[in-house]
Amino acid sequence: MALLYGLLWRLLLVLVHLHRTLVSWLRLRLRSWKGRLWERAVAALLLPVALLGFPDHQKKLNQNRDSNPSPVTGNRAASRRSQWLSDGQALEKLPVHIGLLVAEEEPSYTDIANLVVWCMAVGISYVSVYDNYGIIRKNNSRLLEEIVRQQQDLLGVDGSKYNVEFLSNGNDKHQHHVLSCRPVVKVLSPEDGKQSIVQAAQQLCRSVENKERTFKDISVSMLDTLLRESKNIPDPELVVKFGPIDSTLGFLPWHIRLTEFISLPSHIDVSYEDMLGALQQYASCQQRLGK
Amino acid sequence: MSWIRESELSLLQKIAANILKAGPMPKHVAFIMDGNRRFARKKNVERQEGHMQGFNKLAETLCWCQHLNIREVTVYAFSIENFKRAKAEVDGLMELAKQKFTRLLEERDNLEKHSVCIRVLGDLTMLPLDLQQLIAKAVFETRTHNKCFLNVCFAYTSRHEITNAVREMAWGVEQGLIKSSDVSEALLSKCLYSNNSPNPDLLIRTSGEVRLSDFLLWQTSHSCLVFQSVLWPEYSFWNLCEAILQYQFNYRSIQKARDLHREEQELQQLEADRACVAEVLQHHGNGKPADAQRRQEALLHYTACREERVQDFLEALKHKRDSFFTDLASQACCTSCVC
Repeated sequence: MALLYGLLWRLLLVLVHLHRTLVSWLRLRLRSWKGRLWERAVAALLLPVALLGFPDHQKKLNQNRDSNPSPVTGNRAASRRSQWLSDGQALEKLPVHIGLLVAEEEPSYTDIANLVVWCMAVGISYVSVYDNYGIIRKNNSRLLEEIVRQQQDLLGVDGSKYNVEFLSNGNDKHQHHVLSCRPVVKVLSPEDGKQSIVQAAQQLCRSVENKERTFKDISVSMLDTLLRESKNIPDPELVVKFGPIDSTLGFLPWHIRLTEFISLPSHIDVSYEDMLGALQQYASCQQRLGK
Repeated sequence: MSWIRESELSLLQKIAANILKAGPMPKHVAFIMDGNRRFARKKNVERQEGHMQGFNKLAETLCWCQHLNIREVTVYAFSIENFKRAKAEVDGLMELAKQKFTRLLEERDNLEKHSVCIRVLGDLTMLPLDLQQLIAKAVFETRTHNKCFLNVCFAYTSRHEITNAVREMAWGVEQGLIKSSDVSEALLSKCLYSNNSPNPDLLIRTSGEVRLSDFLLWQTSHSCLVFQSVLWPEYSFWNLCEAILQYQFNYRSIQKARDLHREEQELQQLEADRACVAEVLQHHGNGKPADAQRRQEALLHYTACREERVQDFLEALKHKRDSFFTDLASQACCTSCVC
């Protein structure tokens, strides 16, 4: 009997596996089919918008001529950029801080860089990238290089100038998010999680040891301030998790108190539409904050 | 409605349970029982009725867990944030809690028969005194039971819990029981309200919300998270099976991540010990470099001393916490005698 149950269990697991692959495959197919239709519709719709935005970009392109010698690619990038920005503005709400959790063993730096650039292009100010092996952290510079390259490829401007342009492009709706800060990318590893809480705890205990304060003084807000490292970065409102593991894998335990988790099957060959889908899903959620 | 149910599973449910049991089963499951109010709205009944149905569902779920060999369950009953709700609703919830804990105390024999240990995690001092006393009594009376464990998070948020753990460690430092350098991930885990439980293997949130809402943030960093869209009062045995299946599907990769994390944690402890020893040696050796063997000996000695310090501190902490509950429970006895 036990053997039969064991066999049935294995069968069930295989079915779950099949179901998952089928769902992600269908998603891909549906996307490419919808994508083609979508592309045409968007092209038709966005033409006037792109034309309107054109003189503005033209001016900046002239200034950036050395970094961007070809006006043709520049125009394409500019129209794409304004499309992404308007996608971001069309959303009811946009996270200020997004976490990208890569729950797969082999990170693809190009895809991660794409994700980061899209996030910045739709108007997200802080992007954190995490994997639980700390591989991305180890290859930090490689990711940053890749981001700069993708920025050039996708947006047609180099990094530092992008920020300025980004600010001038942000109009009324989300302006308060982007006015004061340049988009910031941070690469995180497990050490930034529990270990940083332990370090903050050690720091507080040391001050108690030195009689600078008593244990009764320690409060949630005190710990929170220490864990923010005095930078005024808000907690991530959204974490997009890539890969088949349903776990946070140690992603900043203190900071994910109210974070929404949205899963995508994989970060490899992920498309802009996938990412936008996750953002749309986030935009449609409402939080009651305990009430 | 009582806390403990003794209903049997149907034949189909039994078969499903046996199939699931052929795989790795979670030992500890945590629930965010969300959706009571939406359920009430949907059914056009009072909010309080929704909460009542939610409680009944908990009793039912505990019964299923028992049949599935899940020995430990943690539930999010009331968050510190919930104090922000309308006063009438908060009062209603407190009243419900009082009623349920009184009921729990009446069911002593049943709890003993199944050897159910009740623990309440949270900052009890935020609650009305009579509820505190009832809770303390329930915790006190079931503390030696060891077959099933039900942890009720009441007046709880994870950030408060972590902060409280830091405060306890700072207390230990102030008392001279430990040094600030003894503070580690392992020690912090042992100072949490949940120090007597293993970390949950599976966390289930109902009603389609996809966030943790300040629940067990520390403990679930390597748990399987399952978000289900069903409202809590409508939760069924099959929903639970689905969540367990998802856990089993994730089992190997999460286990791997856990192992990796444990190795890293051990490495960090070793490094911290080494740093402390180096400091001590430099202090005593007048700057002369110590040879490898002496360093190794010093390291072993230091580790043993640290472990002893930590052990003493944890015992003192346990004593402090136990006496909090015993005092409250005995107060409760006194007041009931007077009445």
